[in-house]
Amino acid sequence: MNVLRCLVCLLLAFGLCACETVEPWERGALAKREMQWAPDAMEISLQAQINASKEASSGGMGAAGGGCGCN
Amino acid sequence: MAGFEHCFKAMGGPCRLRFDCADEALAQRALEAVEAEVLRLEHKYSRYRADSLTSQINRAAGTGAAVAIDQETAALLGFAETLWEQSGGMFDLTAGILRRAWDFKSGQLPTQTRIDELLPLIGWQRVQWDQHSIHLPLRGMEIDFGGCVKEYASDSAATLLAGLGIERALVDLAGDMAVVAEGAAARPWTVGIRHPSQPEQAIAWVQLTRGGLASSGDYARCLLVEGRRYGHILNPASGWPVQGLSAVSVLAPQCLVAGGSATIALLKPEAEALQWLGELGLPWLAVDSQLVCHGSLADTSANMSARHSISQEGNTE
Amino acid sequence: MSRRGSDKSSALLALTSSALLLPAYQGARADAPPEFMEAGMRYSKYEEDNTQGKKTFGGSSQRYDIDAAQFHLLAPVADNWAFALDVQWEDMSGASPWFVGESASGEPKVIMSGASIEDTRTEVSVTTRYYYDRGNAGVNYVRSDEDDYDSNALALDGAFNSSDGLTTYGGALSFSADDIEPTQGSVPTNTLKNDKDISSAWIGVSRIISTRSLLRFGLSFTYRDGFLTDPYKLNDNRPDERKEWTISTGYRHFFDAPNAALHADYRYFDDDWGVGSHTLDLAWYQNLGDLTQLIPYARYYSQGQADFFGNLVDLSDRYYSQDYRLSSFGAITVGLRLRQELGNWVVNLSGERYRTDESWGVYNGDESPALVDYWRYSFGLDYIFR
Repeated sequence: MNVLRCLVCLLLAFGLCACETVEPWERGALAKREMQWAPDAMEISLQAQINASKEASSGGMGAAGGGCGCN
Repeated sequence: MAGFEHCFKAMGGPCRLRFDCADEALAQRALEAVEAEVLRLEHKYSRYRADSLTSQINRAAGTGAAVAIDQETAALLGFAETLWEQSGGMFDLTAGILRRAWDFKSGQLPTQTRIDELLPLIGWQRVQWDQHSIHLPLRGMEIDFGGCVKEYASDSAATLLAGLGIERALVDLAGDMAVVAEGAAARPWTVGIRHPSQPEQAIAWVQLTRGGLASSGDYARCLLVEGRRYGHILNPASGWPVQGLSAVSVLAPQCLVAGGSATIALLKPEAEALQWLGELGLPWLAVDSQLVCHGSLADTSANMSARHSISQEGNTE
Repeated sequence: MSRRGSDKSSALLALTSSALLLPAYQGARADAPPEFMEAGMRYSKYEEDNTQGKKTFGGSSQRYDIDAAQFHLLAPVADNWAFALDVQWEDMSGASPWFVGESASGEPKVIMSGASIEDTRTEVSVTTRYYYDRGNAGVNYVRSDEDDYDSNALALDGAFNSSDGLTTYGGALSFSADDIEPTQGSVPTNTLKNDKDISSAWIGVSRIISTRSLLRFGLSFTYRDGFLTDPYKLNDNRPDERKEWTISTGYRHFFDAPNAALHADYRYFDDDWGVGSHTLDLAWYQNLGDLTQLIPYARYYSQGQADFFGNLVDLSDRYYSQDYRLSSFGAITVGLRLRQELGNWVVNLSGERYRTDESWGVYNGDESPALVDYWRYSFGLDYIFR
C-alpha cells in the first residue's frame, strides 16, 4: 500500500533523528502550552466523539474506550 | 564508581565540582561541560566584561535604544522582578550603582550629596522590558545580575550533570551549591554552612539529596566608623545600609530560589526577616547581629558531631 | 525537601514558579504531576443542517441537535499522583435517517424517522495517574448512560521516557462492555436487548527532533464483538465482529518569529468491513501577546464505503446497510477558536463548520442521500488554582 510505504519511510527518518541532541535547557519552547500534543483535552474528546458518531472511523492516539448509542 | 573533583575560578571566586562516575570519558566530558556552562553564564552576565550582555545593556542606557534579549535573559529578568515584588522593592537590580558612592576599602562614609545624585537613577519600576528587549531610560542607569547568576549557574550545572546520567554530584560556586543525588545507590551530600566570624568552622551541617543551598551574608565587607557598623547590603530607596541579619542560608529545590530567598531576608530588618523566613516554608538558618542562630537548620545541626570542620565537607560518612 | 500543600507560602510559590521558567529547569521536571489544580467547563451546541429536499422523501426534514456540557477537574495529590474527573451531559433531539428508498426516477432518497428523538446521555470518567521519574501510568474508568445504551469501560495506559528525555514510549489497553436496549415507539427496532464488547490496544512513540519540533507515531488495534447493527435503521444487518487498525503520525513545530505553533496530524484507518479512511488535521496556534491565542483549524476526512454498504439493498444478502456513515464520502471541517487568559481564568470560544460530499473523497462509491453537514459552537471557562 502506498500509504504504508510512506509511513515506513517516515518511521525510518524518525529513527535516524537520533543524530541531533536537544539539551534540557534548550527545551523551553517545547514546554509551551501550544506545543502540547493535546492542549485542550475537553475539545479533543468532544471532537473525537462527534467524529466517531458521524463517520465510520475512530481511534488514533490512544486505546478506544467505550461506545455510545450515537445516532 | 570513581570520585572526580575539579576546581576552577569563575564568578569571582573558587568553584568546585565533585561527582561520582564510572566512565572516565564521560567524567571528562562532564567536567568540561560544567566549566563551559559556568563560564558561558559569566561571560554573558558579568558586569566586569565589556563584551557581556549586561555591559551592552548598561551602555545603551539613556540612548533610547532597546537591547534585544533572549528567552534565558527574559526569564532571569522575570525572576528578578519577582524578587523585587516579594521584597517590597528592596531587591532591585538597578541598585548596583550605589557602589559608586560606597567605597568599603577607603574606610570613609559617602556624602549624602553623592547618594542623592544616584538615587534618581535607581528603581526597577523605571526599567522598560518585555520578553524580547530591555531599555534603561536614563543615562547612568545600570543593571547588575550579580545577585542571581551564581545560584542559577549552580542549578544549570547540576541539571547538565543529571542530564548526562551522573547520579551523584555537588556543584559549589563560591558558597552557592546545587547537588544531584538520585538513584538507589547515591548517598546524600553533607555540606557545612560557614560560620560568619570563624571561617574555618561550620555553624550548621545539612544533608542534601537534591536542590540547592545558598548563603548570603553581610559580615564580609563593611565600614566601621565611630563605633557604628555599616554593612554592604544597601537599601535602594535611601542608599544607606539596612540594619538586618548577619547571615542567612536557605535550602530549596532550586539554588536560585534558595539564593533569592536568602537575599530577600538580608534586606529586611531583623525581626521582619526572621518572621518572613519562618513563614516561607523552606529549611533555613539565620545569624543575627548578636551572633545568635535561628531557624529550622539550627536545631538539627546540634545532632551532628562538632568535630567536623569545613575542610572535610562533602563525603563525610 | 519541600512539600506540596498549604505549608508553602505564597512568596515561595511566586519565587518557584518564576524560577521554573528559566531554561535550566525545563528538562528537570521529567515527569511530574501538574503543579496546580485546575477545573474547566465547556458548553457546546451542535446543529445539523436540514436534509436536502430533493434527497428526502417528504421534503427537507430537520435533523439532529445536541446540547453538550462538559466538566473537568484535575488535581495533583501528594508528590507523585494526579486525579482527574470528567463529566459530560448531552441532550440530543431530532430526527435521524430511517431508511433509503428509490424514487420514481430511480434515485435513492432518504426517509427520516418522523417523530422526534429525545435522549439524554451522561458520562462520568475517573482517572488516577502515578508519576515516577521516568514516566507515568494511569487507570481510567468510564461509565456512560443514556435511555437506550449504557457502557462501562476500563483502560490502562503508561508512558516511559528515555534517559536523555528525548523519546517517550507509550501504550494503552482498554476494554468496554456495552448494553443496548433500543427505545420502542418511533420506529421498529432490530433488537429488543443486546450487548457488545470493545477491546483495544495502542502503542506510540514521540520524540523531540529539534529545539522547536516534535514528532510522534502511533499504532492501534480495536476489536468489536457483539451486536454492531444500528437498531433504528430499517435495512441494516452488520457482522457481529469488527477488527480495526489505525496508524497515525503527528507533528508540532514552534515558529519564533510569528510566535505561533503548527499542529499537523494524520491517521490512516482500515478494518475488515472494507472501510478505509484518511484523516488530516491542521491547526495554527497564533499567540497575540501573552494572554490571547487565536487558533484557526481545518480537517480533511475521506472514507471508503463498507463492503456491504449500498443505497438500495438486497435483503437476501448476508450483510447490508444503507447507513450514510458507512458510505464513501469526503468531509471538510473549518473552524476558529479563541483563547483568552484573564488572571487565573481562561475563556475559550469556538465555532466550526463540517460539510460532506461524496466527490470530496479519494475513494469511489455511491453517494448516500443522507450525508450530514453541521455547525458546532462552544464556550468554555477554565480556572487554575494558583
